Amino acid sequence: MPANKKHLTASPWQRLLKVTAAFVGGYMVSMSFHLLLMAFMDRTTVFITMRFSVYILWAALMVIAFLAKNGWKIWGIYLGLSLIFFLPYLLKMMGK
Amino acid sequence: MNLRNYNIYFHTHTISGIIISLILYVIFFAGSFAFFKTEIASWQKNTPNSVVEKSGTDMNRIRDTMAAGMDLYGRDLYITLNERTSRMTVSASASKDTTIKDKGGFFYMDATSFKKQDYRKSYDLGEFLYRLHFLAPLNVIGGRGFLFGYYLAGLVAFLFLFAIITGTLVHWKKIVSNFYVFRPWEKLKTLWTDIHTALGVITLPFLFVFAVTGTYYLVSFPLVTQPTAKVQYGGSTDSLFQQTIPGRTNYAFEDKKLNHVPDLNAYFKDAQQKLKGAELRNLIVYNYGDQGMRIRISAVNQQRSFTEPGTVIYNGKTGKVEKLTPIDQKGSYIKAVDSLVYSLHFGNYGGNIVRILYFLLGIAGCIVIISGVMIWLVARNKKNIPEKKRRFNEWLANIYLSASIGMYPVTAAAFIAVKLNPGADRGFVYSFYFWVWLVITILLVLRRNNYKTTRDCLLIGGLLGVAIPIVNGLVTGNWIWVSMRHGYTDILLIDLLWTVIGITSLVTWLLVVRQQQEKLLHKLSPSGV
Repeated sequence: MPANKKHLTASPWQRLLKVTAAFVGGYMVSMSFHLLLMAFMDRTTVFITMRFSVYILWAALMVIAFLAKNGWKIWGIYLGLSLIFFLPYLLKMMGK
Repeated sequence: MNLRNYNIYFHTHTISGIIISLILYVIFFAGSFAFFKTEIASWQKNTPNSVVEKSGTDMNRIRDTMAAGMDLYGRDLYITLNERTSRMTVSASASKDTTIKDKGGFFYMDATSFKKQDYRKSYDLGEFLYRLHFLAPLNVIGGRGFLFGYYLAGLVAFLFLFAIITGTLVHWKKIVSNFYVFRPWEKLKTLWTDIHTALGVITLPFLFVFAVTGTYYLVSFPLVTQPTAKVQYGGSTDSLFQQTIPGRTNYAFEDKKLNHVPDLNAYFKDAQQKLKGAELRNLIVYNYGDQGMRIRISAVNQQRSFTEPGTVIYNGKTGKVEKLTPIDQKGSYIKAVDSLVYSLHFGNYGGNIVRILYFLLGIAGCIVIISGVMIWLVARNKKNIPEKKRRFNEWLANIYLSASIGMYPVTAAAFIAVKLNPGADRGFVYSFYFWVWLVITILLVLRRNNYKTTRDCLLIGGLLGVAIPIVNGLVTGNWIWVSMRHGYTDILLIDLLWTVIGITSLVTWLLVVRQQQEKLLHKLSPSGV
């Protein structure tokens, strides 16, 4: 019994959005989240933890992206989160 | 459970699984054998681990052998001992003295003869299977600088992590109740499902660890290290590594020669005293022969300290100890994670027992993959699915199974081939393995019968597997009982491993054939339905 089609995304655009949000967006959120931690905590400790935590968080975010009802929305959320998490670095870059 | 979520988990698990299945199978199958990489090398070259105790190794002699090929001044030298093989790895960096132009190098050296061998020439089947398991041979596709094979393997490992998570979510509710369900003689669909879920649950922690650490090894540099270095370490991955990898320190090169030849053996002996109870594993000399020379010696004892190696660093100019980290001291988080990732992936922490267990879990992983493909195929082999789609599915599963199951007899044959050809180098291993694999896959694909593919690969692989120790005995005289008497545990391990694998698959073959015959009889008899 393959999965029941009525619960899956039918529109190819929506599907593309979800796949890219899962893979690219998930990576961006996971990376920027860890970089945010680095800005406030001991960066060596965070970097070593990233050996496993980056990928686990990324995969979890992938699952969440596929559960989303709307591909645009999840892309918006992931982009927004990445920007917020990356804020300390953006401010530093602009301050220069 | 929410029906929508369940179906999404189910679908994403299926799609990610079917995309990675063939490559993941290759990774798992080759990787399982790669746990015995050093033993395979010793077995192939017939060089049993003659000096198990490496603490008496003559470090000065290693240095002198290296110095015969190059001026060592200003180089960093790395000498690594392995308690499982008499082959030591030895390498030298480029010199920091810019007037010394010749590059460094990577060699193997034998612990008894101190003969230097270059990497290419002493290539062996163990190295081949190890490198195949992260698709190193595919790096040529990307051309210079783009490690196509590594990145592909890393992508597969990451999608595998995703498939593990979604698979667990699908199976979550039945994880306990279905664990004891095994219905091998019911219809095929339930057989594949039971195998997939039962073995999947048993191997879950193991698979999870391998998915995470595998991804780390293959794609962390471009995806994590480089971006982090860019925003946090001024764009320099070197300075990032120096701060985050234990033991990675840069000692300044002073460009003034020492007026004595350093006695590496003295340092090595002294370190044994200082790190009592641990086995010395490697010796690193920074800035050899320079006033800024440092000697770093490290040792492990995983029974006493699972993740912490003990180290001692000497100042090469004064000969005094600069820093001593005893084996029992309370470790740091950074060191612990650093060695844990390595230990968990390579299974080097509990002797042969752990590696044999890892091997079995790896093979179980292969079976999880194959049964997954079979569920995918059987579930779609229904009347309501268009004929065209069904034919495509059948072809795809046919190709996947032929290539993956075909790997077993090819690997067994490769062990025999390298034994019969003492001059087997990288070119030979490559062309033998890949050509035979291609031909067998094409033949099996053309025959288009998954049952016969499995049956015949079990038979041929089993026969070849049982033949491996016999061929080894005939060629080298090291029969199983001879190896046993002399204590050649590494050679013995490979011979026994193949004996067990061979017999197991012959028994399986017999069961499979009997089962099929009964089915046929049942069909032919008039009372059968």
